[in-house]
Amino acid sequence: MQFFGSAEISPSPPVPTTSGNNAHMMYVFNRNGVCLLYREWNRPLRTLNAQQDHKLMFGLLFSLKSLTAKMDPTSAERGNLGVPQLPGQGCSFHSFRTNTYKLSFMESPSGLKLILITHPRTGDLRQSLKYIYNLYVEYVVKNPLYTPGAPIRCELFNTSLDQYVRSIA
Amino acid sequence: MAPVGPRSGDAIFANMERVNAELFTLTYGATVRQLLTDLEEVDEVNKQLDQMGYNIGIRLVDEFLAKSNVSRCVDFKETAEVIAKVGFKMFLGVTASVTNWDADGTCCSIVLEDNPLVDFVELPDTCQGLYYCNILSGVIRGALEMVSNTSSFAQPSIPSFLWDVSLKTEVTWIRDVLRGDDAYELQVKLVKQVPEEYPYKDDE
Amino acid sequence: MIGVGKIKQYSNVLDKPLSKGKQEVSLSAFAFLFSELVQYNQTQVDNIAELERRLEDAGYAVGARVLELLCHRDKGNRRETRLLGILSFVHSTVWKVLFGKVADSLEKGTEHEDEYMISEKELLVNRFISIPKDMGTFNCGAFVAGIVRGVLDSAGFPAVVTAHFVPVEGQQRPRTTILIKFAEEVLLTFNPFIIANCILILDSPSAKGITHSLGFMS
Repeated sequence: MQFFGSAEISPSPPVPTTSGNNAHMMYVFNRNGVCLLYREWNRPLRTLNAQQDHKLMFGLLFSLKSLTAKMDPTSAERGNLGVPQLPGQGCSFHSFRTNTYKLSFMESPSGLKLILITHPRTGDLRQSLKYIYNLYVEYVVKNPLYTPGAPIRCELFNTSLDQYVRSIA
Repeated sequence: MAPVGPRSGDAIFANMERVNAELFTLTYGATVRQLLTDLEEVDEVNKQLDQMGYNIGIRLVDEFLAKSNVSRCVDFKETAEVIAKVGFKMFLGVTASVTNWDADGTCCSIVLEDNPLVDFVELPDTCQGLYYCNILSGVIRGALEMVSNTSSFAQPSIPSFLWDVSLKTEVTWIRDVLRGDDAYELQVKLVKQVPEEYPYKDDE
Repeated sequence: MIGVGKIKQYSNVLDKPLSKGKQEVSLSAFAFLFSELVQYNQTQVDNIAELERRLEDAGYAVGARVLELLCHRDKGNRRETRLLGILSFVHSTVWKVLFGKVADSLEKGTEHEDEYMISEKELLVNRFISIPKDMGTFNCGAFVAGIVRGVLDSAGFPAVVTAHFVPVEGQQRPRTTILIKFAEEVLLTFNPFIIANCILILDSPSAKGITHSLGFMS
């Protein structure tokens, strides 16, 4: 038997193809923690109902963000745990990887949170998330029939998002 | 600390898709006219325009952030400058200036000399109480409320579970060309910073 | 620019020269304003037809003023008096001023003599829109239909104007067709209303008269 990726403790999924099926799912939360969008392309295993799933994801980000800031060894002016920390300010995490998936995270200064779950071997997706933020601006924010804070039901956004994530390698 | 983001909106405006200002001006005129017909009372129209501006502000802020690459503003002073220099230029193609700061830096004026909302407009006698451009004050209020602000605003008393803060402001008209003044001047007053709370209760 | 001067003060809007129409704002500014117009009107109605009617009303006000503006600026105060002339004026001049391009097509209806269609692959107001299923055939183009009706009506060509999505083969997004159905009297060769209107306009070529009608409450 041959092992790939010997540095890893548990076996990871096959190396991703250059494009196609690398994105698993995406979450968009607004600043009030409302899940505006959940979109799924490849998720064979589901253990929670949708609402619990969204809440867990939001809680994970919330805690992780404050923990990573707390552990920041470089910032001199860092306050106590939980003192208002802003996107782009001081330290904030942008991705983590497990043996089976990678989570990429972006938060805009307006508090919009974009989360993309992909194959663990996908590269740096910060630019991709920025691109998706721009899609959100074009097809959600500027849609005359979209009410801010409501779940996103915008066909133009969904189709352009589906198309875009296929190019993620 | 060096400010982050562009100092002027010229380059961004040049890259934005643009339309003839007349389409915008006339559409705004049609909107105001519709409100006057529906609501009758000038005060109600002022309120509705402000509300519509607020709704626009909370949307528009995302486009502003996505296209301007402003990742944060250091304090209220810088935020006001960015709105005037980058925001107004980027969306309306005009530049505004910031003046009249008060001593503690929580109140200032945004002055607009050129205002694409008001071409062809003269207030009839029946509408003298109307703040024709009231939508602008709403936009500023809405956009500011959506922008998290920095720890220079953080009060030591903010409980530790709170994440970040947003700016609540009051925006009022000081001068209005349609009312015979020599420019458009909006006073922006920082009322309070609202900390963002963890939205779920533990037992939920 | 060196030394940005103060804006010149005019005692009232009539003394201010009409702009040349070269100033621009971002498409986003318009898109946000238009969105808010739609959202506000949604709170005022019970059904889609009513919503479209209100958007059309708003558009009508824009159309009527656009005609005044363009007649004054581009045509030396003369108005188009022929049916095809006014249609081509809408399809090219009006479209170019408002949307930055000539409309994709202007066609005569094949089934009815009195019908004309202006089509646009991607109408500006439908550019960013996704229509939820529960809104059925709703088309924001009603606003543009209103503009067209405003121009035509003010020029003495009353018509019923509506906006429709038309699927295009091989395209994901439908195009928008503005359907113009002229009132009966327009199709008569002798149209006293048009002639009277024409004389009226020729008689009042002063910029003041025209500008005044542009005031937002005329």
